[in-house]
Amino acid sequence: MIFIIDDDVAMARCIARACKGFKSKIYSNAIAAIDATNDRLPKLIFLDILLDGPDGFTLLNELASYPDTCKIPIVIVSSLDLKESDLSSYNVVGILSKDSMTPSDILSYAEEYDS
Amino acid sequence: MISEVDGILVTAHELKAPLAVIRQLAFSLEELKPENEQIRSEMIQVSERAIKQVNDLAKVRRLEDGLFVMEPVSVRAVCNDASKELTRLYKSERKGLSVRYSNRSRLVTANRDLLYSVVYNFLLNAMHYSSDDTTAKLLVSDNKENVKIVVRDYGPALPTDVWRKLKDGYLEEPTSIAMRPGSSGLGLYIASEFSKYMHAKLGAVRHRDGTSIFVELPISKQASLFV
Repeated sequence: MIFIIDDDVAMARCIARACKGFKSKIYSNAIAAIDATNDRLPKLIFLDILLDGPDGFTLLNELASYPDTCKIPIVIVSSLDLKESDLSSYNVVGILSKDSMTPSDILSYAEEYDS
Repeated sequence: MISEVDGILVTAHELKAPLAVIRQLAFSLEELKPENEQIRSEMIQVSERAIKQVNDLAKVRRLEDGLFVMEPVSVRAVCNDASKELTRLYKSERKGLSVRYSNRSRLVTANRDLLYSVVYNFLLNAMHYSSDDTTAKLLVSDNKENVKIVVRDYGPALPTDVWRKLKDGYLEEPTSIAMRPGSSGLGLYIASEFSKYMHAKLGAVRHRDGTSIFVELPISKQASLFV
């Protein structure tokens, strides 16, 4: 299962479509996504940073605080200009720019971490 | 003033989000007939250009913060990248682009991203204003102090009022280029602001059959010590 966390539902659906053949679930805010990890740990998370309510960094800190969730691989999907060095404290395995990513970029992460 | 400035950044962000979605939606379309593939390709290209312009507009605001590092930059590499990115678009618009270097591949003092945007905007302007089946030219030359990047198009000449404003080396505001249809002058304004930040000089030459727009950048003294 892949979690896609983005308050822009149209963009979240595009990411879900790109993950062809993989089960995914969309969450439009960080709180709903954190609640969902109590029921089931995803194999991979695609995470937007600018969210309604608590932002992506809040979610990253929350995930990093527990021994089970801190191991979930996370791909940041954002239009912000982020560097991997800014996110080295978290289990971020990749950064995709919303401006330039393609469906194959998204699919390659799904294939690597959820197969 | 602060709220006006913040408004630009907020607007830029709000514009970028739907543009990025449109681009992804175009990718999401399943296999299409060959004639519709062209439409998909144009949707992606148009949204990418719009995203780039919105990003540039946000960067204009951020220039005041002085966060764009000035460093030795290869003009050739920047011109190669920008021209490569636009070659397909030129072809689809039935226009050509030729690139010629008559400089010694020296480094200039600039910010790579800002310089890329300047060249990209010049080339985009040249594509818009060149007549069908003409070939715009990108020429890079140098002298003792500067490297000059010139983009020559074959369309309507730049109006004299804009040309006069450019004589000072910069544009103070976006200037509608009425004789060049479909232009708000925003691309040229962005190029002007980025040039000003890099201590580069913008200029233009009017021709009977088009316009040459150029930027002159100071050669990197720091890098020349190692040559």
